[in-house]
Amino acid sequence: MFRYQKRLQFPVDIKSKDVHLAKILIDQYGGSQSELAAALRYFNQRYTMPDNKGKALLTDIATEELSHLEIIATMVCQLMKGATVEEIKKAGLDAHYAEHKKSLYPTDSNGVPFTITYVSTTGDPLADISEDMAAEQKARAVYENIIDLTDDPDVLKPLLWLRQREIVHYNRFKELFEYYQSMFTKVQDKKDNNTNMNNTSLNLNNFNIPFDNYMLTDFDITKRN
Amino acid sequence: MNEYNYNFNDVNINSYTPAYDPNDRLNTMMVGGMNIFTPQDAYERGNLFKDLYNQYKNYKPYKLVAKDERQKLFLEFSQMDFAAHELNLYLDLHPEDKNALTLFNEYRRKANSLLDKYESMYGPLTINSDALNKSPFLWEEENFPFDKGGVSNV
Repeated sequence: MFRYQKRLQFPVDIKSKDVHLAKILIDQYGGSQSELAAALRYFNQRYTMPDNKGKALLTDIATEELSHLEIIATMVCQLMKGATVEEIKKAGLDAHYAEHKKSLYPTDSNGVPFTITYVSTTGDPLADISEDMAAEQKARAVYENIIDLTDDPDVLKPLLWLRQREIVHYNRFKELFEYYQSMFTKVQDKKDNNTNMNNTSLNLNNFNIPFDNYMLTDFDITKRN
Repeated sequence: MNEYNYNFNDVNINSYTPAYDPNDRLNTMMVGGMNIFTPQDAYERGNLFKDLYNQYKNYKPYKLVAKDERQKLFLEFSQMDFAAHELNLYLDLHPEDKNALTLFNEYRRKANSLLDKYESMYGPLTINSDALNKSPFLWEEENFPFDKGGVSNV
């Protein structure tokens, strides 16, 4: 379950209105590399992680991504505060205004609404965590693009901070990926020895073992067979 | 003015001040073979781990400076909470690391006690706070963090 804390994970205090930058920044709210996509991706994937290391990490990072979503939302709202209809038209947000007035809506910077197809869950831990690593790198890249597009220190401060979080998350996912890879290799080696096969592929289909066999204790190869 | 507003969003910026001193007193602290920042420096950077810290172009981290006692207390809580969170992510993958666990518990305890102190003085940030034992219901009274007007009118 979740409980809300009535605070931001990092302070946001934007003093200058900038409607055009709001249109750019909304990308990290509802775009393909957005904090929303990240949170949903990790929450979905955690259920089929093979042990509690993966479940814990995906849960904790997904939860943090929701805090980042709130930071982005706060930034967009503050950038839009006091915007006139003229300014909204000039920034190219007139189509947004027609449907949503000044309310927040998860789209990318081109106004394309958020879609869950940005998120993939294969049930294969190595494939899923590779996606998570890529997602963190892509989010970092998008933050850098947006940082290039502004010189407002009030905006740069949280953006630089959020960019750094992508780097930390990427490294944690990388660690988890390498750990799972080594565990799967051990399981594969054990199976190869038992069947006199010399197949070192990591393709999990080779195992032909029911899903449950990948849960927690099955990484202890001494308990297999 | 709402005396229960916390003022997270009003933390001042002294722009482009490098906050990290390489001769820092805690420079030698390590977790998992990696050097770590102090909670203060870590929070300004968004990264506890010096070896993972990666600066973008020439952008230096911004110094966070509290304007008053309430901001100071809130900032201290945020710093400790963030450091504990970073160690939480690390410990998810390294549950056997006793050094990291000790440090996690130190930061966690400090964060909890700072949060208790903050809530008792300035109002609840969490729905299970003892600060809610008053009338009217302070959870609703407290302004939301995304509401700039709310957090600025201290």
